[in-house]
Amino acid sequence: MTGLGLLLLVMGAATLGPLLAPYDPQAFHPATRLQGPSAAHWLGTDQFGRDLLSRLLNGAPSTVYFGLGATLLGVGAGSMIGVIAGTAGGWLDSVIMRILDGLLAVPELLFTLLIVTFLGGGMGQAMLAVAIAFTPGMARIARSSVLSIRTREYVLAAVARGERAHYIVLREVLPNAVGPIIVEATIRVAFAIMIGATLGFLGLGAQPPSTEWGLMVAEARQFMFRNAWTVAVPGVAIAMAAMGFNLFGDALRDSLDPRRSR
Amino acid sequence: MAGGNARGADSVTPVLEVSGYSLSYATPSGPVHALKNVDLRVTHGQTHGLVGESGSGKSSLAWAILRYLPENAIENDGRLLLSGENLRDRTHPQILEIRGRRISMVFQDPSTSLNPAMRLGEQLSEVLIRHRGLSLQEALEESEAALARTGIAKPGDMLRRYPHEASGGEKQRVVIATAFACNPELIVFDEPTTALDIITAQQILELFNQLQDETSISALYISHDLGLVSRVADVVSVINSGEIVESGPCAEVFRTPRNDYTKALLDAVPNPKQWLGVKEPPSEAPALMSAKGVTVEYGRQSLLGQLLAPKPTHLGAQEVSIEVRKGELVGLVGESGSGKSTMGKVLSGLQDFDGVVRFGDRDFARLAQIDRAYRRAVQIVFQHPDASLNPRQRVREILSRPLKLYDIVPREQRAERIARLLEQVRLPPEFADRLPHQLSGGEKQRVAIARAFAAEPELVICDEITASLDVSVQASVAELLVSLQRQTGTACLFITHDLNLVRQLAHRICVMQHGRLMDAFHRDDAEGPDRNPYTRALLKAVPPPASQAA
Amino acid sequence: MTLGYLVRRLLAVILVLFVVTFAVFAITMILPGNAAVMILGEYGTEEAVAAMERRLGLDRPWYIQYLDWIGGILRGDLGQSLRLSLPVADVVGDAFWNSASLAVTSLVSVTVIAIPLGVLAAIKRGTVADLVIGIFSYIGASMPEFVTATLLLIFLAGPALGLFPAGGFVSPGESLGGFSSHVVLPAATLGLILTAHISRQVRSEMSEVLSSDYIRAARLKGLRERRVIRRHALPNSLAPAVAVISLDIGYLLGGIIVVEEIFAWPGLGRLLIYALENRDLPVIQAITLVLATVYALSNLLSDIVIAILDPRVRYA
Repeated sequence: MTGLGLLLLVMGAATLGPLLAPYDPQAFHPATRLQGPSAAHWLGTDQFGRDLLSRLLNGAPSTVYFGLGATLLGVGAGSMIGVIAGTAGGWLDSVIMRILDGLLAVPELLFTLLIVTFLGGGMGQAMLAVAIAFTPGMARIARSSVLSIRTREYVLAAVARGERAHYIVLREVLPNAVGPIIVEATIRVAFAIMIGATLGFLGLGAQPPSTEWGLMVAEARQFMFRNAWTVAVPGVAIAMAAMGFNLFGDALRDSLDPRRSR
Repeated sequence: MAGGNARGADSVTPVLEVSGYSLSYATPSGPVHALKNVDLRVTHGQTHGLVGESGSGKSSLAWAILRYLPENAIENDGRLLLSGENLRDRTHPQILEIRGRRISMVFQDPSTSLNPAMRLGEQLSEVLIRHRGLSLQEALEESEAALARTGIAKPGDMLRRYPHEASGGEKQRVVIATAFACNPELIVFDEPTTALDIITAQQILELFNQLQDETSISALYISHDLGLVSRVADVVSVINSGEIVESGPCAEVFRTPRNDYTKALLDAVPNPKQWLGVKEPPSEAPALMSAKGVTVEYGRQSLLGQLLAPKPTHLGAQEVSIEVRKGELVGLVGESGSGKSTMGKVLSGLQDFDGVVRFGDRDFARLAQIDRAYRRAVQIVFQHPDASLNPRQRVREILSRPLKLYDIVPREQRAERIARLLEQVRLPPEFADRLPHQLSGGEKQRVAIARAFAAEPELVICDEITASLDVSVQASVAELLVSLQRQTGTACLFITHDLNLVRQLAHRICVMQHGRLMDAFHRDDAEGPDRNPYTRALLKAVPPPASQAA
Repeated sequence: MTLGYLVRRLLAVILVLFVVTFAVFAITMILPGNAAVMILGEYGTEEAVAAMERRLGLDRPWYIQYLDWIGGILRGDLGQSLRLSLPVADVVGDAFWNSASLAVTSLVSVTVIAIPLGVLAAIKRGTVADLVIGIFSYIGASMPEFVTATLLLIFLAGPALGLFPAGGFVSPGESLGGFSSHVVLPAATLGLILTAHISRQVRSEMSEVLSSDYIRAARLKGLRERRVIRRHALPNSLAPAVAVISLDIGYLLGGIIVVEEIFAWPGLGRLLIYALENRDLPVIQAITLVLATVYALSNLLSDIVIAILDPRVRYA
């Protein structure tokens, strides 16, 4: 329940945030630099006197939708590969699995960094890089999910009946195999949000004057000892967004698997 | 107080006395009643059988006696007396002294009730160390002796093994030796043979009777199997929906049951003498399907696989030949791992094979040759009702699939045909809109049978279709199958481990063991002199219940 | 466990690394962003770029370049750094040991903290202790390393407290005290997310074990709770815990890149970021291969440990 609430809050901010921002997120106000929270500025101001709440709300879409978009791409590609491997079996499955094993040996963040460097920095490239880095892991999950369904008796019954392959995959296997894939995808959105912010922080993702949260932390680090708010606000926001998806994903898993509940 | 000495001091006091005991479980949707006003006595040296179907509350009673109830359990003020002491007055530390020492338990499945990471010796000796204060050395010596009494040939060797290094029967002997180790006043047996193979189960039962004679232990023997209980118990109680509906001396209850539920249960127990099947086709009837020299090799690997991770192959079936004639019901009997299900998979086109399967006038020599016409003519029904229906499809969709696939009836007549199929398997027409999870196990199995018959097949393969069902449901599913056979003239290969059941249905019976066909005979010759020794051992292991033996 | 099993697993690791070399090569070669252009900057003339490509051997067909590279690795020659004009093996070798000191410190502390925490949460399921551990693990699992690092810096290295240095590195051989004070913050940063994840996994494994039939059987033998937990439950949840830790090593190896960058720790991660900024291909390729090798070998090691812990696997 906490997960769902947090998720709705995060999604609401990502969708409506820029409209709700009380101030212009880019307007400089040198008179009110590095202030703590006040009635006028609920979350304080940054080194240029810009309102932190407004910048946070403005940056919500580029942080949250980045995670959603990257995951969606990665889940789509990964599931396709996993489902093909899982249903085809035989040598094709073996070859795909050996390649996946190799790709999975490269840590995902390193994988993302490699791709994003050679694609060149920027939001779109970063999103694509995260999606590519997620693909092997998702493929493995999708494959094992398909394999666990493929030996169920109702699938065997369809095979024995002489159903065509596409009917078996699309109607018998996939609808029952999506559960674990959706759970993994939800938890990966959290991870993607964290990687996206990390790329922004390293200067490899969102570029100024974006108000992407990772970038906000990077820009404020210089002043962090004078006003901790400037880094704490976007930092905590990233954590909350990720936590919303983590909690929701776990709740989803519990509801799909009664054995793990409680 | 020292409980161990209370025994035998007063032979009038029952070892276990349950009186007026009720139990329910609190759930978000209100309390669920598990036991209602239960009275039950086990006197000294007696074996008390407690018989009920799944969900009857029989296991709840065991947990209550051992004071192992979940937190949401709600008890009334009924009494649970062990040799006159109310167990419900005991504190948790006192209960820990009682468990394993004065009451012990034997569980259903030795493969899950033994710790996989501990040697069997430690698991046996730890109760002796805990309750009798023996040293490790003394405990191991005593364990070896205890294990020897359960008929294990090399007990010292067995003690050093891990559970996965022992067979199911050996593991259950270790569990039984553990239960007897501290010479307790009462042992609760919770379906101790259900997870075992027929012949192993028979040996465990014999062991129970032998130990009972030697030690005159008092036992509460919980089971769903009436026939089995009739062979071990002195007194029997029948439990239904948490209530004891009938209780009395074993022979009396089985011979002259007074309660309707008891009668229904007894009637549902398969009796090999009572023929249920359809009329036998004439002996000159041509073979519909005949498998000749079918061999299945599992674990065959690609060349690359052999190089990277060579695994031994094993034969799931070896040179098996089976024939089914038109309209006939052939029983295929064996224990787990006998290859009977492998044959079911071969004949339903799910498993590659060597050899020849002849159907009608066509020969099939490997899986790839099995075509649509064959698949339509041969349908399969599986064991697990929970797994055999796609959980995301409604019954209507499940049943319409074969109709559509083989174009059995024109589109506009499908709804009508589905209604008729449901009627044939005795389900109301509105079940067409239900999802599988809204059906009971027996209802699901009826839908699976309807799906098989929807294709208007010539042969239906039934792979252990009654094994996951309660006794009373088993009988009705078997009876349904026969009535469908009568209506449609479809032949059937009935794969099962239950000899008594198959002798009621099958015209001919084939017996498999370790992937080989051991025996094949007409039902009239089941007890004939020329039966294979293995067939005889199987028959001996499942004698019909006491009431029917007469 | 047999020698044959070990040999097969080692062969599998080699196969994995072979795929890794191919993937790394593909990423660095096929994706846009020409190395010669990167090195010369955007003002390099076409001729200069072509000359640089020839010098780097980038004008040859890709498979020749790949075989050349692989051949070098097999001879122990990782090439020459384009930027630092030093042998890659020397540069990466020094950084490797610095990273290893950080990773090992972090992993050891995580293991020591996370497993008892997870076990405690499972035993005390539904109590306040479980809830607190649960909340901690959710927060930990949702904080990217750079946020944790920044917050730790503000509170523990800032002018207010100044308990630890804000960055830098002292080798343990030089001064163990200096190493310790420098390693605390980066190790804590890396450790937080891993502790959160591992303790949660251990809790769920342990809960599963505690609800198993054999634990019920042990309790119904009248054994004391302490023995049920220590002798019956713990050994069965250790093998899965090792599996979780070995998977998380992959995460640790990714996180170390960011953490080293923030805390100016002269390890592989910091070197990698430098190499990425300068398109120092041989260094990038070498680091990726080293990290993948470490990960693959740690998985192998964990399989061996699991086989020792779990008698069912041991003879398989």
